[in-house]
Amino acid sequence: MSAPVRPKPFLEPMYCKGCLRCIDACPRDCITPGTEINPATGLVPVRLHLENCNGCTLCIQACPEPYGLRLETEPPGFEGDFVLEDPAKLFGEKCVPIHSEGDLPDNHIALPACEAMVLKGNYAAAIGALLAGCRHFFGYPITPSTEGAELMAKILPRLNGSFVQAVSEVAAVNMMYGTGGAGLPCMTFTSSPGFSLMLEGISYMIGAEVPGVFVNIMRAGPGLGNIAPEQSDIKLACRGLGHGNTRAIVLAPSTPQEMLDLTREAFALAFRYRNPVVILGDGFLGQMTGKVRLPATMIRPGLPAWAVWGDRAHRHNLINSIALAETDLEAHNHHLNRKYAAISACEQRVDCYRCADAEVLVIACNTPARMAKGAVEAARAQGVKAGLFRPITLWPFPIDTLAEILPGVHRIVVVEAGPGQLEDELRLALSHAGIAPPPIDYVRRCGGFLPPQAEILAGILAPEEVPA
Amino acid sequence: MSASVLSAPPADAPRAPLTRKLLTADHPTWCPGCGDFAVLASFYRVLEKLNYPQENIVIFAGIGCSSRFPYFVNAHGGHFIHGRSLPLAAGVSLSRDDLHVFAFGGDGDGYSIGGNHLVHTARKNVRMTYIIMDNSVYGLTKKQTSPTSPLGFKTKTDPWGVYDHPINPMRTLINSGATFVARTHATQVNHMVEMMLRASQHDGFSVVEILSECVEFFEGAYNASVPRKGGSFQAIEEKKHDGTPEDAARHDPTDEGAAAHLALEPWPGRFGVYYENKTRATKNALEQDLIARTREKTKGASDLELLQKTFARMR
Ligand SMILES: Cc1ncc(C[n+]2csc(CCOP(=O)(O)OP(=O)(O)O)c2C)c(N)n1
Ligand code: SF4
Ligand code: SF4
Ligand code: SF4
Ligand SMILES: [Mg+2]
Repeated sequence: MSAPVRPKPFLEPMYCKGCLRCIDACPRDCITPGTEINPATGLVPVRLHLENCNGCTLCIQACPEPYGLRLETEPPGFEGDFVLEDPAKLFGEKCVPIHSEGDLPDNHIALPACEAMVLKGNYAAAIGALLAGCRHFFGYPITPSTEGAELMAKILPRLNGSFVQAVSEVAAVNMMYGTGGAGLPCMTFTSSPGFSLMLEGISYMIGAEVPGVFVNIMRAGPGLGNIAPEQSDIKLACRGLGHGNTRAIVLAPSTPQEMLDLTREAFALAFRYRNPVVILGDGFLGQMTGKVRLPATMIRPGLPAWAVWGDRAHRHNLINSIALAETDLEAHNHHLNRKYAAISACEQRVDCYRCADAEVLVIACNTPARMAKGAVEAARAQGVKAGLFRPITLWPFPIDTLAEILPGVHRIVVVEAGPGQLEDELRLALSHAGIAPPPIDYVRRCGGFLPPQAEILAGILAPEEVPA
Repeated sequence: MSASVLSAPPADAPRAPLTRKLLTADHPTWCPGCGDFAVLASFYRVLEKLNYPQENIVIFAGIGCSSRFPYFVNAHGGHFIHGRSLPLAAGVSLSRDDLHVFAFGGDGDGYSIGGNHLVHTARKNVRMTYIIMDNSVYGLTKKQTSPTSPLGFKTKTDPWGVYDHPINPMRTLINSGATFVARTHATQVNHMVEMMLRASQHDGFSVVEILSECVEFFEGAYNASVPRKGGSFQAIEEKKHDGTPEDAARHDPTDEGAAAHLALEPWPGRFGVYYENKTRATKNALEQDLIARTREKTKGASDLELLQKTFARMR
């Protein structure tokens, strides 16, 4: 009895991934593993020997690739001539271009003038976030940052907001990706070990261009270290935000007032550039109280056009960081680089104190800058022309202003409560700008100590006596 | 891999038995009245009874008040990353099978940030003993919600009262594949000693959950199981297999289903051994077995010869 004449299978080598499932399925051993690599796919398609084939189609059913095996009689699938599944069929009407109003704009609401408050730095940052319209907080408790989170926990429900204590910092950062992708302002408070855990998620947020604000109240490391203040994560925030080509604006407040102002500002920057923004405070600043004035307005945020709105009009808004094709990923990196260049050009911030005629330029940020200011004044009292250059953005480093000041400067003294990461940023910025600096000395403490004013003064006065 | 080759200490002269005095290290920094003191005192007693060579005792912890434990026991060990004591302990257990490995920690350390590690260390049945000091709160960071905080409890991160459902530690541990799962109470010293002793002698991943009150941030959390405070301590009666009619009602800890069922009892639940599986091999043993089986075929060839053969095949 001869086999009935039925159509036989046909292999599209382009779509065969060489999984060999069809071989097991074929009862007549018509299929064998391939031996040649398909240059277009880099895979090894199977080979069909159809002498004994009875057209049972079991191989077609076994094939997981929609176009790997098909019957000869089926119309040929032209390469690139098919759509996987038209979303219109799945979800209804096909996506249409955006309703073109673009962004829903922010609303600025005037705040009645009120007396200055006396606040801890952590509380001030939380209030800055609330005034910027942040209603979503994700975090994990960690000393010395937790008060900020605790204030959010108390207030957010009343403001129709959401506070989540995640199971870990890893969970928290990914929740931020979710809220940020929906176009809503969100934030976290953390401290160094927690920031380390968030880096993976930050890289994904930067890749997908998702805004979010990270307040990192740094403590002393490495490893377990302790919970005392240290400027320990300047390197991470400026150079090491997870894998890949990542950058974020890094703001360094030095008073509770700046904790409020810069946190509020951070949200605007995060949305302007569609990028995370990092606020680096030291443990001292987080716990320190100071006089804080409220800004003139608070913000009710709108919704940016790029976000996932969850409606038909925005179906094409895709928030992801994947680009499998090399050309796409290279282009995306070029796009990010242009953004980083724009940030570098427009967002450098610095506070200069008596720098105009300074011969000894002290460079410091965060709490050490306050000690440094005292030391500069003391040096001036002794007739030494000292000045304080206090970067407010650590990335981008305010190199343009520094370049203007440097010609009159004989010596730089970098003051840090940390192992030298600010100095590294300074040196990198100078080197990229092609500026040959005067001698650079430093006054450093770490492990939880702040450099005392007397040590800084000694560093300003006597270069040879700078402590190692 | 076992590195006993590396360690092989000289056969020791007989030595004095372990005493609390020998085992005491730093003075604990816990708040007066903290339940963790009782756990520490009981653990000294457990070590006295086990009388292991002192230098073979290894104790790890993550971060938390409870995780300060290694400082207070004069043995080897370390204080590690928040939530990561189990992978560290597993690394030691698997590379030095001859040591007695303990991990200590709190409810936040173990069930929140370390929850993933807990599940998989249990599943792999790595030989070690894990003691969880559950106070249903974050003590060290001063009163935030923990995964075992009860509904309605007001903390600094749930100032309006906890509303996320707490986990059921016994259910979680049994489900994860831990081969010894027990629960005890820091006010019941004899019971606590017995549970920790049995856990230490278990060949596999053994866990003891100790309800240990945080007097600073969650006072009275466990009063429901403290007779002195009007509660009742309900110990699990284990099956004796004596054929008596009472025995039918007793709990069979080898019965995983019964253990899971017992874990559903309403608060404050039962205390004792929920589950004990003496038949499942440890990862340590299975790895040794795999090594033995693969090495059988190598007929005593040296590492160099084996590697060269492999390289030859790769050329
Ligand atoms: C990565 C990281 N995140 C957060 C912390 C801060 N932290 C230290 S202990 C702790 C929780 C302690 O709770 P628990 O484990 O229940 O121990 P207890 O103090 O209650 O004994 C937290 C959140 C940390 N040390 N590391
Ligand atoms: S149609 Fe049937 S017989 Fe023919 S190759 Fe496929 S499985 Fe084998
Ligand atoms: S089942 Fe399909 S993809 Fe797999 S080897 Fe056969 S033809 Fe190729
Ligand atoms: S805070 Fe609580 S858990 Fe920590 S030592 Fe004090 S009583 Fe014990
Ligand atoms: Mg706890």
